[in-house]
Amino acid sequence: MYQFITKRKLWLSISAVLVALAIVAIAVWGLSFGIDFTGGSVLEVRYPQNRPSVAAIEESLSNLGLQNLIVQPVGDVDVKLRFQEVDEAKHQIILAKLRELAPAGEGQSSMEELRYDSVGPTVGRDLQTRAMTAIILSLIAIVIYIAWAFHKVSQPVSSWKYGVCAILALAHDVIIVIGFFAVMGHYFGYQLDITSVAAILTVLGYSVNDTIVVFDRTRENLFRLRQSFAETVNTSLNQTLTRSLYTTFTTLLTLIAIVIFGGSSIRNFALALTVGVFFGAYSSIFVASPLLVVWNNWHNRKKA
Amino acid sequence: MAYTAMKASTKQKSHVWFLVFLVILVVASLLINLGPQYNAFVTKHNVPLPKVKEFPFRLGLDLSGGTSLTYDLDLSVIEPSDRLNAAEGARDVIERRVNMFGVSEPNVQINKTAQGNYQITVELAGVKDINEAIKQIGETPLLQFKELNEERKELTDEEKAAMDEYNKKAEAKAADVLGKVLSGGDFAELAKTFSEDEATKDNGGSLGWLSSKENPEIIAIAEKLEIGQVNTNLQKTSQGYEIVKVEDKRPQTKDGKPVVEIKAAHLLICYEGASNCQSGLTKEQALEKINKLKEQATPENFSDLVKQNSTEPGARDSGGELGWFSNDTMVKEFEEAAMAAKKGEIVGPVETEFGYHLIYKEDERPMMDYKLSHIFIKTKSIIDILGNVDEWKTTELTGKYLKRATVQFNPQDNSPEVALEFDSEGARLFEDITGRNINKPVAIFLDGYVISQPTVNEKITGGQAVISGRFSLVEAKTLAQRLNAGALPVPITLVNQQTIGASLGQSSVDKSLTAGFIGLVLVALFMIIVYRLPGLLSVIALLVYGSLTLSIFKVWPVTLTLSGIAGFILSIGMAVDANVLIFERMKEELRAGKPLGTAINEGFSRAWPSIRDGNLTTLITCFILIQFLTGSIKGFAITLALGVLMSMFSAVVVTRNLLKLVVTPKIASKLWLFGVKPVSDKQA
Repeated sequence: MYQFITKRKLWLSISAVLVALAIVAIAVWGLSFGIDFTGGSVLEVRYPQNRPSVAAIEESLSNLGLQNLIVQPVGDVDVKLRFQEVDEAKHQIILAKLRELAPAGEGQSSMEELRYDSVGPTVGRDLQTRAMTAIILSLIAIVIYIAWAFHKVSQPVSSWKYGVCAILALAHDVIIVIGFFAVMGHYFGYQLDITSVAAILTVLGYSVNDTIVVFDRTRENLFRLRQSFAETVNTSLNQTLTRSLYTTFTTLLTLIAIVIFGGSSIRNFALALTVGVFFGAYSSIFVASPLLVVWNNWHNRKKA
Repeated sequence: MAYTAMKASTKQKSHVWFLVFLVILVVASLLINLGPQYNAFVTKHNVPLPKVKEFPFRLGLDLSGGTSLTYDLDLSVIEPSDRLNAAEGARDVIERRVNMFGVSEPNVQINKTAQGNYQITVELAGVKDINEAIKQIGETPLLQFKELNEERKELTDEEKAAMDEYNKKAEAKAADVLGKVLSGGDFAELAKTFSEDEATKDNGGSLGWLSSKENPEIIAIAEKLEIGQVNTNLQKTSQGYEIVKVEDKRPQTKDGKPVVEIKAAHLLICYEGASNCQSGLTKEQALEKINKLKEQATPENFSDLVKQNSTEPGARDSGGELGWFSNDTMVKEFEEAAMAAKKGEIVGPVETEFGYHLIYKEDERPMMDYKLSHIFIKTKSIIDILGNVDEWKTTELTGKYLKRATVQFNPQDNSPEVALEFDSEGARLFEDITGRNINKPVAIFLDGYVISQPTVNEKITGGQAVISGRFSLVEAKTLAQRLNAGALPVPITLVNQQTIGASLGQSSVDKSLTAGFIGLVLVALFMIIVYRLPGLLSVIALLVYGSLTLSIFKVWPVTLTLSGIAGFILSIGMAVDANVLIFERMKEELRAGKPLGTAINEGFSRAWPSIRDGNLTTLITCFILIQFLTGSIKGFAITLALGVLMSMFSAVVVTRNLLKLVVTPKIASKLWLFGVKPVSDKQA
């Protein structure tokens, strides 16, 4: 048996450091939000041959007065451009300018428009509201659900404490994932968009699932084993350990398959999920249960 | 003993029934998933089996390629209680306009924003010219009837003299500049000094790439020139004098293929029932006749054959000559056949709504784009001097009073025209207008351009009118449809546009399928290595799960988006979670020395609360995502939720029954098959 609980201070410290680092990253670098939240345009084009340089593209668009223009090469043949929201006429002008930069070769079109998104500011605000609503409601729903799931267990730790520990573990996961977004944003220009929010919410569901499995086992063992609370929790963790590792492993297998083979459009989404699932599994073993024990001990000491 | 044996046999029986049920389910889902392949097989080998209905996947825009447009509706002037009605009205109009592009399954939806405003989202799959689509959706076709403006529109002699003087100077200047260009002067310098086109004079007169669609006058000049050449004679357009230099040219392409313009003539044999036909022939007779004609036809005698035989009105004079035309001007079947034919070839019979055609393709040339520079010297016209004093005066009669528009054919020359029928108010207005304009022209304007200006012969009652412009059939149809679609009840603004190129969509499909397949294989390998026999069974359950889920996607149908596929792949990983929970429990019970049958039952019943609770939380978040978010995220939540539900079924029902089915006393003794060492070892 692994002694998870006796080494709880180590695990909790590691988590505390990770969370602190994540918060620092978020505070220092901030999060950069995608155009679906802020409004603006993203244009992705492909030059099958002779991709013009970033400077050449900026030069050719310079007299259009585009605000916030960022030109970014992607892979070997693609270019991603971000700029303010524009109308369709301007969009066509931009395309024409970009096309001029690479004259057509033999039987091949000079430039291909892969993707174009243009979001008005009202749409962005609407999505912000929706995303916030979804996040808040998910949290409330999960808290209610956990409270209900554990309402029958009250000895020696009252049921709501399971809920609180599960939520703390969740907060841990979510903060680390958002910190990850901040790091990615700083170093790789990652932008937090609606798919990132979906990733966070999915991680919420997944992580709480993991935690519940361990707590369920603890609940069951409390009736069967004659051990101290800390020992019971440790036994339960060990009994569910294989399952937690295997499940996380299979989920990560599929996610990593998407990260590697799924193409660039979905890579960031899968990457956020991967990080979230990993820490979700970590927190249900190393955060939620140790916290429960810490709380129980503290409570007993106070009583004594 | 006898009792237990009997009990075992009924148990066995219920598992057999389960197996039958499972096989039916799997066969059904396979038929749904592999319907096209199955049907192809049945046809190829003449198997005496019925064919099945084919369900295609419904792909979201990010996979199929296409455009999503979101419009804000300005409902501020409408009573709050009527807003939904107005929004629905706008949606219907937009839907009718969208249907004109011939988009496969256009999707036009109303959504309410978090602030309570209404929006309309239009999804167009596979529309190439988004610019045009946006124009057509957003624009109200403006139909106006105008009468002659009786106000002053003549120049005085003085004004006329001044204008002529100006234009003479312009001509002299243009000739002078042309001379400088032709004697080797620097084109860019000369453009800078002399060109009166303010937009281009400072960049060497460069107009960039142009096609005849954008500026037919200039392209008409450029067509006669080679790369690097300048027109040697002075060329005048409606605006002024042009000195044009062809910098470069290239063939126009559409979908990677060059766009060509062709010259053709045709011979028509129509039959009773075809559009506008009075030949008196049946369809069979018409076909027989045209086949006979085809045998005789040669490029030399084609024109004569047409004059003698074609049932097209006017063919006796025209010889069936259609002149030069490009895409989208002729009926589709006709156009395709004409485009596909070789130069000098006579093809047919081609059937269209007008009857059978023989087509003689006389010539073919690529449509070119030109990269041009120009020096422009402006001339003046009456409008420049008098300002825009309109020749026409607007009347009250507009498209608002239109009841319906239909396409019909002019009985004289068979050219397509649009017939209008007004409502009672419109009929009254039309009567007034025609009444006061007898022997004078009345012009019909569409979107600000004259399309027809018939002269009124007599007062027209009854509210019927005809627009006979020089329409192609396609144009006439589009116009009638646009007029019928009517005006938008409320103003709309485009606030969000998302376009995904078709190639990006296809590569996304390919890549996510690869990722899904690899993910599935990895998970399967892992399960078999770790859990052996039950692992193998869970992989079978997983395949059943995959097949069932995909067929639900097809039948429901669920719109698959990229993130939706990610949700499905993710659910494969999660699907085995239930199995892992159960198998771990089972192993524990086996290690505790319980017999296999009991261990299986205990494993399932003890793991169930965790499976239920764990999956419920995922379902809760999915449900919230479905409720509050739109588009691709909704797709993700739907597929993930479906996947989670199906995975519970596959783990709890399918794996369990399969396990019970294969567990015979012989197998039960071989505990290594379950990844557990015999109990005696452990105790020793």
